[in-house]
Amino acid sequence: MGLAKASLLVALLVAWQLAAAIWGLPDYILSPLQIAQEFFRALGSQELYVHAGTSLMRSLPGFLIGSGLGIAFGLAAGVSRGFDQTLSPAIFLTYPVPKIVMLPLFMLWFGIGDLSKILIIALACFYPAFINAYYGARATRSILVWSALNMGAGRGRIFRRIVVPSALPQIFAGLRVALALSFIVMFATEMINSRSGLGHLIQAAESSLRFDLMYVSLVTIAILGYAGDYALRALRGRVLRWQES
Amino acid sequence: MARIVKPLLLIAAALLLWEMAARSGLWNRLLFPSLVSIGAELGGFAFDADGLMQAWVSLYRALGGFVLAAAVGVALGMVMGRSPLVAGLLDPLFSGTYAVPKLALFPIFIFVFGIGSLSKVALIFLECLYPIVIMTYHGARDVNRVLLWSGQNMGASRAQILRRIVVPAAAPFIFAGFRVALPVAMIVVVITEMISSADGLGYMVIYALSSLRTDRMLAVVVVISLIGLALDRALVWLRNRLVYWEKLDAYYV
Repeated sequence: MGLAKASLLVALLVAWQLAAAIWGLPDYILSPLQIAQEFFRALGSQELYVHAGTSLMRSLPGFLIGSGLGIAFGLAAGVSRGFDQTLSPAIFLTYPVPKIVMLPLFMLWFGIGDLSKILIIALACFYPAFINAYYGARATRSILVWSALNMGAGRGRIFRRIVVPSALPQIFAGLRVALALSFIVMFATEMINSRSGLGHLIQAAESSLRFDLMYVSLVTIAILGYAGDYALRALRGRVLRWQES
Repeated sequence: MARIVKPLLLIAAALLLWEMAARSGLWNRLLFPSLVSIGAELGGFAFDADGLMQAWVSLYRALGGFVLAAAVGVALGMVMGRSPLVAGLLDPLFSGTYAVPKLALFPIFIFVFGIGSLSKVALIFLECLYPIVIMTYHGARDVNRVLLWSGQNMGASRAQILRRIVVPAAAPFIFAGFRVALPVAMIVVVITEMISSADGLGYMVIYALSSLRTDRMLAVVVVISLIGLALDRALVWLRNRLVYWEKLDAYYV
């Protein structure tokens, strides 16, 4: 089953490898086997771990801060009308704005180190987390709330036991978008301005024509992105055991 | 009254706070340029042929990649939704690479497509393709069976069923995919122009920063934001015209 699922991917890789063997590829395109070889060689060296660690130390705090705040504010706006009317218009107005344009300003305010990167990642993650938590909370079925009120539940209890659980699937959908976004923004900030991290590695590799390093950082970021998504889906499966995905 | 005033409250407060920070003298004018000088730069931008030209460059890159992704993505998603065989082949490929930041391919795209517009349009195409394919696929797959059976029963051909039932049923999903993809196109065009370019709005941001003109930089940021907003509004308008039988949530309008 697993192989059947990946059949097209395998076919593409084989075709790629064959093309490399038969016609030869330009310097900047390595064959899959070469990439694998370079990747495993890089795994033996310290450098890759340092860069990957630096990148994660930027993207994960940014993701946690941004999506944590986003969920909190989104739920609050979803249940409180006053909060909704003051906060939501500003959020929805600035939603289609690419947050990465704030990076230069953040660099001026918070320095060119990690803080400005973490904050811009947090800003980018805030929006999908907010919007999904907001819609999740608003979509709570009124009949559930009425029943709870009828049975004498207080506001806090209704929020904890009804609003949050029924918003959870939507919250996880938002987290999934935010996580993917955190990797994109992390990579972008490191490519634009950094001396470390995977984005810097790929940029430095490009300018020194080290194509092997370019592919190594590409494979690393792909694996990290996939692993993060996988972990999030696993968490979703545990938390939302009552619901099929 | 409260309905109109309250939404503006937060925005007005933020602007006021900004202007106070700018005038307080606590920070350098570089860090908080006053709204007046940003506004002046913005006005200059609107009447400057070069500025408009840069905006046009960014816009056609973003829209070019988006339109290509929309055409290919809707077609792919439709085929995947109607054919389990194709879906079985393509879905693992798309969902497996969904979480991988495609931006990492940019350096390779530069070698393949050159440093001009083509590498940027190709990357925008790739990033926009995912949400469009996935949403279209879901929409086309989950068409109400009863509608399909009724169509067949009444003797509709495959093409008629596709045109009259599947496409309208998937339309809200397709537009939801577009709505995710369009801001992504703006993000990617700005990022790629910031990383490697000699034109476009992303380049203008970096250029203004390195010449320490933060007021000009913020004016460009405002222009980028306005374009992002305008594109989103235009898409919502188009959606509500075409998918008139299903309204969007009030705030989404």
